[in-house]
Amino acid sequence: MAVAGITEQQGHTVVALEGEIDLEQAGAVRRALLDSLKKGRNVLVDLSKVTYIDSSGIASLVEGLQVARRQRGELALVAVNQRVRRVLELARLDKVFQIHADLAAATAAPPSGSN
Amino acid sequence: MQPSETETGRIAAAAEPDELRLAAELSRSFASSDNVDATVRLALSNVMQLLRVEAGSLFLREDKDGDLICRASLGPNSIEGLRVPRGSGIVGRSVEEDRIEAVEDVSRDASFFKSADATSGFVTRSILCAPMRVGKKPIGAVEVLNKQNGQPFDLKDRDMLQVMANAAALAIANARLADQLVEQERIKRELELASEIQRSLLPPADPDLPIQGINRPIREVSGDFYDFFTLPDGVIAFCLGDVSGKGINAALLMAKTSSLFRCLGKTIRAPARLLSILNREICETTSRGMFVTMLAGLYDPASGELRFANAGHLPPMLRKEHRRYRTFEASAPPLGILRDAVFPEETVKLDNEMFIVFSDGVTEYRYGADEELGLDGIDMLLKLTEEQPLGQRLEQLLAELDRGGWKARDDLTLLAIDDSLAGRIWRRGQTEAKAEAKSDFLFGLTIPAEADRLKLMRPALGAAGRAAGFSEDEIADLELAASEAVENIILHAYGEGHPGDITLAVHRLDDGLMLRIRDFAPKVDQAMVKPRPLDEIRPGGLGTHFIRAVMDDATFIPLPDGEGNLLELVKRRKKG
Repeated sequence: MAVAGITEQQGHTVVALEGEIDLEQAGAVRRALLDSLKKGRNVLVDLSKVTYIDSSGIASLVEGLQVARRQRGELALVAVNQRVRRVLELARLDKVFQIHADLAAATAAPPSGSN
Repeated sequence: MQPSETETGRIAAAAEPDELRLAAELSRSFASSDNVDATVRLALSNVMQLLRVEAGSLFLREDKDGDLICRASLGPNSIEGLRVPRGSGIVGRSVEEDRIEAVEDVSRDASFFKSADATSGFVTRSILCAPMRVGKKPIGAVEVLNKQNGQPFDLKDRDMLQVMANAAALAIANARLADQLVEQERIKRELELASEIQRSLLPPADPDLPIQGINRPIREVSGDFYDFFTLPDGVIAFCLGDVSGKGINAALLMAKTSSLFRCLGKTIRAPARLLSILNREICETTSRGMFVTMLAGLYDPASGELRFANAGHLPPMLRKEHRRYRTFEASAPPLGILRDAVFPEETVKLDNEMFIVFSDGVTEYRYGADEELGLDGIDMLLKLTEEQPLGQRLEQLLAELDRGGWKARDDLTLLAIDDSLAGRIWRRGQTEAKAEAKSDFLFGLTIPAEADRLKLMRPALGAAGRAAGFSEDEIADLELAASEAVENIILHAYGEGHPGDITLAVHRLDDGLMLRIRDFAPKVDQAMVKPRPLDEIRPGGLGTHFIRAVMDDATFIPLPDGEGNLLELVKRRKKG
């Protein structure tokens, strides 16, 4: 499954994704993100184990980001590999999402909207 | 005698009506009537008044068993519909022996058909019966019953009734003839309609194409057919066939076979395989004893390459110039005979030659002292028309046959490919290298339009990309573009919940790969899949933008309506 796990880490909900996020998996990713955003305002999406993503997966991330911002929270991306970054760049979303190098950096940073 | 009813009309109005007057009146009345039943009734009623009888009836003879059926009956009790077996009763005797019968007292005549009275309750005493004939053929009889006042029928009565019977016989014969004419006219109209529909199954002549055909049926409808159409990449699919037998059944099988060809020929690009599919279909559903000889092929005007397979049809002719031609024997049976027949394929490279396929009506055309036209004849006729447009050459070939004054005995059908025309248009040699590079087909996949199949397609593409020397980043782009294209088809062309097939064909180019992704969904409005502005952040709609961003070329290749959508993607290796 594309959603490897959902954990709480230092006030952040971390949704870890893995494998190929295409049309088949985009629905599950979307539900995981929206569920997590119901519980907390700030969600980190760990993409370190994602080997493929396309417009369907990106659409789920964008929808999560929009919901998070509506509730004055944030949805940030963590450990974006080269392949995922290429797709974010193509969509010109690489500047729209907050991107953290790894989970340590992400959880150390104060979640936006918390102050 | 005074007429008591107005309907007895002019006949009864005469003070002393004689046979001549009656004959004239009846003939005029029958001739001007389009309703024989009504006229027969009126005549019967007139005769009854003149002869002063209590009842009258008209019988018609059934062709199949000679029984007589009462078609009109006037008097106190109707016997209309009564069937009198052949030769029975006084009326039967009158018809069989073709003579007028007068019986003064039926109780003394053993042949009186008693069941008529039993059915009607009428009591018959005397009968006068006159037979009706058309030429020598008996068609029925008219009879009158019970002269009023118990008088016997006299000679004048006999003459009068026979006159009426003769006039009625003519009227009935005319009406039957008219019915036959109407039926013949109806069949003729239907055949004309069938012929028109059949002509519409033939492809329209296109002077720009190096292929033309001609079909001239010997009857309204034909068992011969030909077809050709251009595929998206310019290759021309064609066929010519001849259904065994003539007439409507042959025409129907022709319509079926040519429709199947037109449908299958758009996707199956292997003449031999196409013929074996057609063969199985025709074996399964065609009535015994009917078969189709057929030649099907593909001709690429850009390269001159011609591939064809022949199911029992006459060998086609490859003509270089006058007296220089060769043929290709068919080694496979006609379609519709052996379910598992195998159809070998021939490939030839045309070099400004002419390829001619024809039906046996052409080669077996007989002229002079029963000579067959044959291949030499076709060759000769083509010589007469050098330098003319292809379509006109075929027209003129048939015109030359007509000029000889001998009649065709079969449908005449010809299909010709003139490679010299194609060679001129395509300036062959200049484009050849590129055309050949384009045709290096690596592999093809058929993928059901379902999201969980995408991940199965990508590894194959990745392998093709690696084999073509792409970098891992470029391979990721290839996989992305193909996935996006297939997702677009799933979501927009078929729509979710309406899965169909998607085909992916991968071709190697000199400097990269070409992907052709096709669906069989209704035509997609190109505007729907256009990339949309990215400054608006919202889910979806990114796929087409990705495709255009990562591929060097993305083009929708127009297909005819109903043929689905075809997207061609090209990715070239980065230089250096």
